[in-house]
Amino acid sequence: MGKLLRLNMTDRTATLQDLPDKYRYLGGRGLTSTLVHDEVDPLCHPLGPNNKLVLAPGIVTGTSAPTSARISAGAKSPLTGGIKESNAGSAFAPAVADLGIRAIVVEGQPQEKGWWLAYVTWDGNAPKVEFLPADEYAGQDLYDVFPRLFERFGKVSIAGIGVAGEFLYANSGLCYEDQSGRPARYSGRGGLGAVMGSKGLKFIVVDRKGAPGVPLADKELFEQGRKKLTDALMTHDITKPKGALNTYGTAVLINIMNEAGGLPTRNFASGRFEGAARISGEALFEGNKERLGRELYNHACSPGCIIRCSNTWHRPDGTEHVSCQEYESVWALGANCGIDSLDVTGELIRLCNAYGLDTIEMGCTLAVAMEGGLLNFGDGQKAIELMHEIGKGTPVGRILGSGTATAARVLGVTRAPVVKGQSMPAYEPRAVKGIGMVYATGPMGADHTQGYTIAPEILGVSGKVDQFDRDKAALARGFLEATAFIDSTGHCLFIAFAILDIASGFEGLVEECNGVLGTHWTMEDVGRIGKEILTRERAFNRAAGLTAEHDRMPEFMKLEKLPPHNVVWDVSDMALDSVWEGY
Amino acid sequence: MLGKEVKGGTIQFECEPMETIHVEVWLYGPLARYAGEQSHGSYAELHLDLPAGSTMHHLLERLGLPPEEKGITFINGNLAALPGLEADREVVLHDGDRVGISHRKSMWPFQYRFGAGQTPQLRETFRQRQDRGIHHAYTKIEKEVENG
Repeated sequence: MGKLLRLNMTDRTATLQDLPDKYRYLGGRGLTSTLVHDEVDPLCHPLGPNNKLVLAPGIVTGTSAPTSARISAGAKSPLTGGIKESNAGSAFAPAVADLGIRAIVVEGQPQEKGWWLAYVTWDGNAPKVEFLPADEYAGQDLYDVFPRLFERFGKVSIAGIGVAGEFLYANSGLCYEDQSGRPARYSGRGGLGAVMGSKGLKFIVVDRKGAPGVPLADKELFEQGRKKLTDALMTHDITKPKGALNTYGTAVLINIMNEAGGLPTRNFASGRFEGAARISGEALFEGNKERLGRELYNHACSPGCIIRCSNTWHRPDGTEHVSCQEYESVWALGANCGIDSLDVTGELIRLCNAYGLDTIEMGCTLAVAMEGGLLNFGDGQKAIELMHEIGKGTPVGRILGSGTATAARVLGVTRAPVVKGQSMPAYEPRAVKGIGMVYATGPMGADHTQGYTIAPEILGVSGKVDQFDRDKAALARGFLEATAFIDSTGHCLFIAFAILDIASGFEGLVEECNGVLGTHWTMEDVGRIGKEILTRERAFNRAAGLTAEHDRMPEFMKLEKLPPHNVVWDVSDMALDSVWEGY
Repeated sequence: MLGKEVKGGTIQFECEPMETIHVEVWLYGPLARYAGEQSHGSYAELHLDLPAGSTMHHLLERLGLPPEEKGITFINGNLAALPGLEADREVVLHDGDRVGISHRKSMWPFQYRFGAGQTPQLRETFRQRQDRGIHHAYTKIEKEVENG
């Protein structure tokens, strides 16, 4: 059944409990959101003693399921004031799962100053935890700290915070190691680094040596499912070897979104950026080819990933600059800031990794700072200088570390592209209205990963398919539900690209879960389980003071026509509220 | 334009009917090579004169771009074709149009184009399909898609 590991930071004690029976079929986001809903006072201060940070591997994490090495992190968000789940791909995820830990709950708050790390090992029978002082790692660049941790502890996995989390910035993320040990994988959104920082915890270091691994209830069924999903991923043009993602990474979307007039440019003033092609996935591929003298295909972020979409950008002299330049990061720190150089976006991304910051929120904050006059759009050098101020915690740095909405308020910028206080990602809602509906209504705030796929039974029944034209709200609801399910499995969301087209892949996903848990879920359970998770998340948000009035777009998007299509946000409040029909 | 003098000393100009249209064409990734010397390596921006009445098909012929390499295509920022759903072949281009053609390793999955603009021809193509265009792949795994 697995264990709940509680790390109490008030007295630095660790408690291992059997996972309560009511949670036995939960994992990933399903488990983090349920625990936050059940145990966290929705009215608590997110940086106070009553918030909790929950880390949970997914249902199939730790097995041989492809792309399943993902960990969900959840809490009350210091950025949105509502519930937050943010997941990441890293060996950290299966390391936790291998120890039989279904969730780590970080709770309480130390009374004295000082930084700690929790060192988790297998003692032969159970996970063992030691709390060790971590002051020697505070205030430093994570690219310097991670190698020292590996040197000290050996082959371990790390989850932790950079200076951003130490400063309690709302822009701070949780950082984990990639396959080369770089501090480059993130639970980025929503300021979860600040929650960990508010509890005096700098790192969780996990050594899986000797750990028992994840048990399977039905090995044959699991294998059957695994094979179906693997086949789908290996076949589909987006996810297959040397396919779209393995060749160009997610930044292959830059040229597409730009051509579509939906690439937010210069703080969401336009949907097309004249420099977009220079910061695209194709430019990354060609640039690396020129600088290395050979073609470089992308790599896996975590064990068992067969999609391999992560890139490494190189300097003109052929040395490594940063891993990786993903679509969202390149857009936020590039097009949205009017910057068209991969060397500049590369450095800005590297600094986000070094300091422990969410690249999306950081890019949107810098764009607001540009509109607010702290620097000019396109001034990459000044942007880099400001990143260092953020890292040092100067007064301006602290303002910029607090997120897009706060920076806009301080600088008198009305054009703050946020929902529930979280900045929008790389799809302009006025040009792509369906995604806008997800930004507005989803429990996480403006978030592009919460509405990623839809359960196949919605497609199969011809009556329901007619809904697409008339009822985008119903479609949005279907997307939100199915995605909540996938977020609970431990799989990378990018399986959605393949399984939305290849039904056997979706079947395989459900069979994998049944094989691990011993359940008998069908496709219909996908929507049901998603709905249960969303219901809890919405209940938490409501109790935290977030109402239907928060499921809305910023005013400027209703008034300003976005070039090149010259469209405004005109989806009615009634249509938005009907996303939650039946809830 | 040539003017001819008419009664009363005024000059009357006669305009030729427009026989060419000017279009802006963006080619992405490996397709940039079809722009020849004007390629920037990972993309190309071309400004072409075409005969009035030219269609997408004529544009592709002019570029020498083989249909099997043509990927996601836009006309004036509206989705015009996905690989396997080439609804743009006979679309007539107009003066000032912007055409964007991507390669076969690009992507625009439904969740990222949910509610985005389409040409009337593609909209009709989607409407006639039972899946209403929610899929990404319409080529070799089409059979699986239809059975799914």
